[in-house]
Amino acid sequence: MKIENTKAQMRKGVLEYCILSILKNGDAYTSEILKTLKSAEMIVVEGTIYPLLTRLKNAGLLTYRWEESTSGPPRKYYVLTENGDLFLKELNKTWSNLINSVNQVTRKKPTTDE
Amino acid sequence: MNKTININLGGFFFHIDEVAYQKLKRYLASISRSLSDDPQGKNEIIADIEARISELLSEKITDARQVVNEADIEDIIKIMGQPEDYVDAEESYNESSYSYNRNSASSKKLFRDGDDKFLGGVASGIAHYFDIDTIWVRLGLLALFFGAGFGILVYIILWILLPEAKTTAEKLQMEGEPVNIDNIEKKIRKEFNNVSENVSVFANNASEKIKEGASEFSDKMNKTFSAKTKKNNGISDFLDTLGKIILAIFKVIGKFIGIIILFISAAVILSLIIGGFSVGSLEWLNVDGTFLQYPPFFYDAALPIWLLTICMFLLIGIPFLILFILGLRILSSNVQKMNKPTRLTLSGIWFISLLTLIFTGLDFATSHANRGQSTQKHSLAMVASDTLTIKMVNDDAIYYRPNLRRSTYKEEVTVNGEKVVYASNIKVDVRKSESTESSIVIQKISRGKNKNTANLNTTKIIYKYQIINNTVVLDAYFLSAYKNLWKDEEINITFYIPENTLVYFDRSTKNFLHHIENSADIYDKDMAKHHFIMTESTLNCTDCLEEVDEDLDEKTKEETPEKKTKTSTTKTQETI
Repeated sequence: MKIENTKAQMRKGVLEYCILSILKNGDAYTSEILKTLKSAEMIVVEGTIYPLLTRLKNAGLLTYRWEESTSGPPRKYYVLTENGDLFLKELNKTWSNLINSVNQVTRKKPTTDE
Repeated sequence: MNKTININLGGFFFHIDEVAYQKLKRYLASISRSLSDDPQGKNEIIADIEARISELLSEKITDARQVVNEADIEDIIKIMGQPEDYVDAEESYNESSYSYNRNSASSKKLFRDGDDKFLGGVASGIAHYFDIDTIWVRLGLLALFFGAGFGILVYIILWILLPEAKTTAEKLQMEGEPVNIDNIEKKIRKEFNNVSENVSVFANNASEKIKEGASEFSDKMNKTFSAKTKKNNGISDFLDTLGKIILAIFKVIGKFIGIIILFISAAVILSLIIGGFSVGSLEWLNVDGTFLQYPPFFYDAALPIWLLTICMFLLIGIPFLILFILGLRILSSNVQKMNKPTRLTLSGIWFISLLTLIFTGLDFATSHANRGQSTQKHSLAMVASDTLTIKMVNDDAIYYRPNLRRSTYKEEVTVNGEKVVYASNIKVDVRKSESTESSIVIQKISRGKNKNTANLNTTKIIYKYQIINNTVVLDAYFLSAYKNLWKDEEINITFYIPENTLVYFDRSTKNFLHHIENSADIYDKDMAKHHFIMTESTLNCTDCLEEVDEDLDEKTKEETPEKKTKTSTTKTQETI
């Protein structure tokens, strides 16, 4: 079992959550989303984001609009839909629960040892 | 130095060099392949990716005149990730629509294999399903085609019904490999190699086409692309398949014709080689060549026979060689067209042999143009009321013949180690002598380019006869030079006898007598074994009083007692 694979799997699970969260703070075009994710080291290669965005869009969680750009062709700005907002709220809950659970599991160890 | 191409990538304009262009194209194609089959989403994803790549590139390329090179594309790929990464990202979100159980081993599905196909890839798909070699399936299908007619129908139905394995996951399923990242990676690597080969071939073709006309090319590209996007709805897919089937049928018919051409031409060439070899070698090995028949003009030709044989061989062989190559090219696209020097040389050689044979043929024709003859006269010591007996004999040592007869057919024989022609075109006639003397006149006839050579040729004819008292024994054959085999040589023998001289035709002359005038108009063959007397005008039979029918009866009567007596004599000898 490769550590890289496990890491990737862990990140992947929460990637949707992260994307939705970014869009919650305001509409963004792909490069902005990528920039945020990359600086947070959530993704390694950019390519992976595109299938994911399309999937979220097809699920009705996202939508997009075209916006003129000062440099070059129009850009695709992603917007969170109402559904997406609800979805994100659910995920928020799940995430905080998950953190608690994980913390509980990981921190218990030393206490049992004591 | 590299060619550059102008591309529109996500709305930006780029100069890109050819190598980089191919690389980018390959990259996008492999991403497209590794994404699953949902066409709407796929096109969108690719468009997004292209837009992103153009954005990244425009960050790198600050000057509009700068050219995108291979290293730039490599950087882009590093940022965007390998095609496998896309698969990875996508597969984890793949839901019910394609229920690929990740890591579940070998849930095989029946697909058509588009990568290994002869017609539609049905056979290879079945082979993958049962994990056997494709060739056995193909042989089985072939047996069905010929054994029972419905094999073709089965194939076509399967062709229409079975989906072609297009995505990597489908291909893995077809082969029964578990659909997991490792395998997909392997598969894509493999395909990458194939694709890069194809791309280089395609690139060559494309550059050729660009030379021919860029607009035509782009039209074509547009068409193929639009065809590809349309292809996804069911009806057009079906029609597409149907079209492919019709095309394939034509292809099969074409191949069939190719096979026939190949077979015929190979057979002709082979027989020519064997034939040519035997002509040459048998001649040298001194095998008696009675069964070898050359065309007539090979004899007495200015050129040696072996050269003419080679010419003949080339004249027939070269067209069939070209046919052979044509057949090969129909069957396999690998066979190259003959290059120009080869073609020119072959046609040159062909023309030379044609001319040689035409020349020889004309030479032969002219060598026949004129008839020549030579005559020998020999007096016979005959007095009126003597009986002239005419007999004919054959020399069985030279050539054995059970029945003596005149014939235009010639035989090759060897006399004193020399090959000569044995012929028996001899005509015997009896006429009234103008004087009181009897004579025999032998006229030899041959042919030649002109009268002189024709006359000269007659001297090569050897003919013998013997005169014993009042009996003339003629040879039933004559010998002539081998090269004069086709000179239509003949011998006319005419006896001139005075009035009141008797003549008796021996049985052996029966088939040599030719239009002998006689008062009763007796047919030549019936004149043998009878006595004739020369009257004032023509011959008159002295012992032909019986009718022809009786004559026949008499013959049989005569023969049967003869036989009886013979057997009795032998018996008596035995008893003695």
